[in-house]
Amino acid sequence: MPPGLDNLKHIVVLMMENRSFDHMLGSLTAVNPQIDGISAALSNPDTTGAAVQPQPLAEFQGQLDPDPDHHFPAVDLQIFGGDTSPTRVANMQGFVRSYFNQQQDVGHSQKIMYYFAQNQLPVLTTLALEFAVFNRWFASIPGPTICNRAFAHYGTSFGRVDMDLLYVNEPFQSIYNRLINANPKRTAKLYYYDTTSSTMEITNLLQNQPELFGSYQQFLSDCSSGNLPDYSFVEPNYNDHDGDAGEEVASDQHPDHNIQAGELFIASVYKAIKSSPLWPNTALLVVYDEHGGIYDHVVPPPCTPDQFTASANDTGTGMPFAFDRLGVRVPAILISPWIPAGTVVNRVFDHASIPATITKFFLGAFSPRSPRETSADVFIEPNAGTVDPARNLLSLGTLRTDCPDFDV
Amino acid sequence: MALIHVPRPRNAMDPDRPVNALLKSQVLHLHDAESKLPVRHHTDIYIPAIKTEGEAANYIRRVTEAIHLAHATAVAKRARPVAKPKRVIEVAAVADDRPVPRRTSVRPKKAKKKAKTKLGRKT
Repeated sequence: MPPGLDNLKHIVVLMMENRSFDHMLGSLTAVNPQIDGISAALSNPDTTGAAVQPQPLAEFQGQLDPDPDHHFPAVDLQIFGGDTSPTRVANMQGFVRSYFNQQQDVGHSQKIMYYFAQNQLPVLTTLALEFAVFNRWFASIPGPTICNRAFAHYGTSFGRVDMDLLYVNEPFQSIYNRLINANPKRTAKLYYYDTTSSTMEITNLLQNQPELFGSYQQFLSDCSSGNLPDYSFVEPNYNDHDGDAGEEVASDQHPDHNIQAGELFIASVYKAIKSSPLWPNTALLVVYDEHGGIYDHVVPPPCTPDQFTASANDTGTGMPFAFDRLGVRVPAILISPWIPAGTVVNRVFDHASIPATITKFFLGAFSPRSPRETSADVFIEPNAGTVDPARNLLSLGTLRTDCPDFDV
Repeated sequence: MALIHVPRPRNAMDPDRPVNALLKSQVLHLHDAESKLPVRHHTDIYIPAIKTEGEAANYIRRVTEAIHLAHATAVAKRARPVAKPKRVIEVAAVADDRPVPRRTSVRPKKAKKKAKTKLGRKT
């Protein structure tokens, strides 16, 4: 068995907010051509018909205000360029037009094509280059936060494509319930930043399982004491507020929150694990929930339909949605000292891959699960049977000692 | 590999920033959770009036703390009845003893006193 998988005991997922792959990591094509980012051939038409190219002019804060629309109808426009015909083909040509709809300002609408230069994001770009970056990790559906995050927790959004209350009355258990109810029992925790930021899952999980929840301070403490659960899901700070230690700036990177605050947070999570006794035994996935209406050039592929269908009324596009196409591509990086630097993964993943991977690794077989989850690829191979070396990302024979450090 | 410097954000804090769609949704989710709490744990915050991040943050904190408190209270309440069977057993044991002797009129009186004393001590 590969030593990386033999040693792996803990999986941590950090899910950030609302940034596309090209926006955050597109600059890295210039460093590593295997990374599918920005090229000179890319453009989107603005409302005057002029071609707008991606430019490295993204700013940390104050640029994407108002928050770019990323509800289902807007994302449909972004992906299909406004074509609503039955024979339409996705072309990623509607981003500028979509942003124009919010302010009717041609110049401002072009900012949706801006991306960050590598040196602006020292944390995210370093981690992408030093570990495994995914060229084809997509949001689970072409829609907003709540339903996309639901795929990370349940492997489905139970037919929802919006931000409304998500009532979980369906047969599919959350990944947390599956783990803590397993025999032998497994451990899982959802760490929200603090009570003032809290978590999106509070109505679905907290009422029944308060023991599943912890704060970010507890995460830091659990890392340093070597007491991380088998599975941890970490959430950033979603709002600016005064905390015990003074000003707490939102670190989720949701427009128009500060990007550098998010960089600090990602580095803090990474450092907490790297400096803990669990570093050889832990894999960290950093991933974004959806693209936030910001430009990406890769067409989301079709996928196995879920067993739910959102009605034409629910989607707001006049067309029903069978959950048979993924959302826009997002940044995703897998971190472990057993992963070779410069790894680029080209297989297709979405957030349903998270419960799929955790289930397969810690529980093996589990039923029932949603059709989307059962067909999703896993990013960590189960540590059982024969492991396909071509699929195992934790492939090194010896522990790396050259992993990056950040001054946080 | 050299230590990588991570720049700190400047002047990023703005609790007066208009609340975004994500926070609005979080407030609605929490409002639903709040409505299921016992009334004594309800906040007096009128959520349609929440317009800024600072206001949303305050509401989120109040309800999250209320949920934790409500759960802690429920757990404590659940724990309390565990002690009851002990008392019942003790009382029952005394009561069982009562009819068996039926020898004098004094003993039952003593037994009654014992039972009262034990109950009194435990509560």
